[in-house]
Amino acid sequence: MEKMLKRLFLILAVLCIPLGFFTKHEHAVFLWHRIPSIEAVFGVFGAFLLILASGIVASFAQKKEDFYD
Amino acid sequence: MIKAVPPALIFILGALLIPLLKGKLKQVYLLVVPTVAFLDLLYLNPGTSWIYHFLGYELVFCRVDRLSLVVGYIFVIIGFLAILYSLHTKEDGQHIAAFLYVGSSLGVVFAGDYFSLFAFWEIMAVSSVFLIWYQKDKESLNAGFRYILMHIFGGCCLLVGIIIHIGSSGSIGVDCLEPGIAYWLILTGFGLNTCFIPLHTWLPDAYPEGTFTGSVFLSVFTTKTGVYVLARCFAGADFVAYMGGIMAVYGVTFALLQNNARRLLAYHIISQVGYMVAGIGVGTALGINGGIAHAFNNILYKTLLFMCMGSVMYMTGRRKLTEMGGLARYMPVTCITCVIAALSISGAPGFNGFVSKGMVISSAAEVHKPILELMLILASVGTFLSFMKLCYFCFFAKNYEIESKEPPINMQLAMGLSALSCVFIGLYPKILFDILPYDGVHYHPFTPSHVIGTIQLLMLAGLAFVLAKAMVVPHRATVLDFDYFYRMGGRGLVWACNVPLSNFRFKLQVFFSRAVYIIVRLGKNPISVLEILAAYAYQRITRGLRYVSGYSSSEIYEENLYRRPIGVGVLVAIILLFVFALIYFVL
Repeated sequence: MEKMLKRLFLILAVLCIPLGFFTKHEHAVFLWHRIPSIEAVFGVFGAFLLILASGIVASFAQKKEDFYD
Repeated sequence: MIKAVPPALIFILGALLIPLLKGKLKQVYLLVVPTVAFLDLLYLNPGTSWIYHFLGYELVFCRVDRLSLVVGYIFVIIGFLAILYSLHTKEDGQHIAAFLYVGSSLGVVFAGDYFSLFAFWEIMAVSSVFLIWYQKDKESLNAGFRYILMHIFGGCCLLVGIIIHIGSSGSIGVDCLEPGIAYWLILTGFGLNTCFIPLHTWLPDAYPEGTFTGSVFLSVFTTKTGVYVLARCFAGADFVAYMGGIMAVYGVTFALLQNNARRLLAYHIISQVGYMVAGIGVGTALGINGGIAHAFNNILYKTLLFMCMGSVMYMTGRRKLTEMGGLARYMPVTCITCVIAALSISGAPGFNGFVSKGMVISSAAEVHKPILELMLILASVGTFLSFMKLCYFCFFAKNYEIESKEPPINMQLAMGLSALSCVFIGLYPKILFDILPYDGVHYHPFTPSHVIGTIQLLMLAGLAFVLAKAMVVPHRATVLDFDYFYRMGGRGLVWACNVPLSNFRFKLQVFFSRAVYIIVRLGKNPISVLEILAAYAYQRITRGLRYVSGYSSSEIYEENLYRRPIGVGVLVAIILLFVFALIYFVL
């Protein structure tokens, strides 16, 4: 299951990144709207940033299940 | 000609008949009430009706416009689906609480004045807590009390804000407010229901402790009525917009850490409501339409997610992701509908979340709020990660110790209809666009850049999840939130009342009792002053000796000594209210 998921995401990611170069943001307002396939970068960095942030929160806020008892 | 009635009335009066019916007839009746309410909605004409005069003010029970209608439609539709899901529930009390909850939420939506809004607001809080307490265990009892305490606090802020607002403006109409004390107090009251950080703690605390069916209702009404009143009174407020962004990111960060499946969903309510709040805070036609469209869609897929997790818990008795896994084999309908809901909430193209999430994010760009746009994009990534985690560890991870089967047919039917709605709106969003508050807003969700961009975002986030799966594996643990400070503060307050304050009060009482005794005695016989002095000296000496020998004679406050039954307090309140009414109306 895990291998299949990895392959699936990898194939779809590889297929859709080049497609981003053929599309254009209709109402580009900010600088990043003009960068092709920027959403892919947001996807990877956003995921690692959130995993890191939740890890930091867990380091001081994660306690035993019966903490309040 | 048939005159439409306030939809709230149908549910609230409908609740009264539930205990009188039994068996299949009751089940049919439970489904007929929301159907009648929906037909009633179709008859409602824009404008105000059901106006009553009270204490010199005009109470409006039915204020109908595009904003109240769209929220009314989805409340009634989801009321029907949630009732269908809970049709097998035997306890009448749960059905009554659910009907009162749905009815009062509709009351808030169609209220045209702050007085009736407040009354329905409080009925909503009180009726919903029973959907938690009906779980009938220690955790749900405690969580219910914390829930109601928070809502009482919010209700008090709201009431004080309303009184100040009426005092200063003289108007009781539910409309946009001017900044001032009343503005912030009413915003606090509304914000508590909408889960503004850090007032959000009641939601992830209480919703996972509700009954399987009760949590489905809970996931919809309280937060979405909050969103509705924000759209009515605080549209375009910058504070609200950025609070939405913070909620969106905060919710997903904490959701990633959860092991209890329903607590994970609860944190996602905060995150998703963040999108709605952000859209409303942006305040443009696109923003408000986006916020309300997202509320509409979110109600469908969030309810579906709670239905799916409720089914898993109902059939397996397991609540935590660490205890689940491999359920796709045994519960394929639940699994497929859950995946549809997960794709919808993640905003995958072809599902309803894609349409409305795009509207909100575009509205942030429309008003040049780059930080807000980035926060909302980051929250989209986090949402997909969380639901990868939920679906993977619940349905696909290896677990050979678990066996289960599909839930009862009514539950499957409700899940199927909800899933179908998510896909239908995702493929044909015009049906939703046509009923949004602002007519004539042109938004095209299926542009190549939006579709490709969203697929890129989700695929790369999915890849990151698979690569870093070890870091998001659920653990048997609890994650402290801001409620830690409230709980510790509450314990500190109780201690301060029970120990130092009560001892001080006790000492004062003893001192004054003795003083009165001495004065009375001296008044009767002034010569007894010598006796009193001797007795006082004896008392001081014996107390000193006891202290030296280590014996403590200090009297400790006994809290149960002064307790009276709660009924006495209620009786006094009723008598006072009666006397007040007598003076006001008769004299």
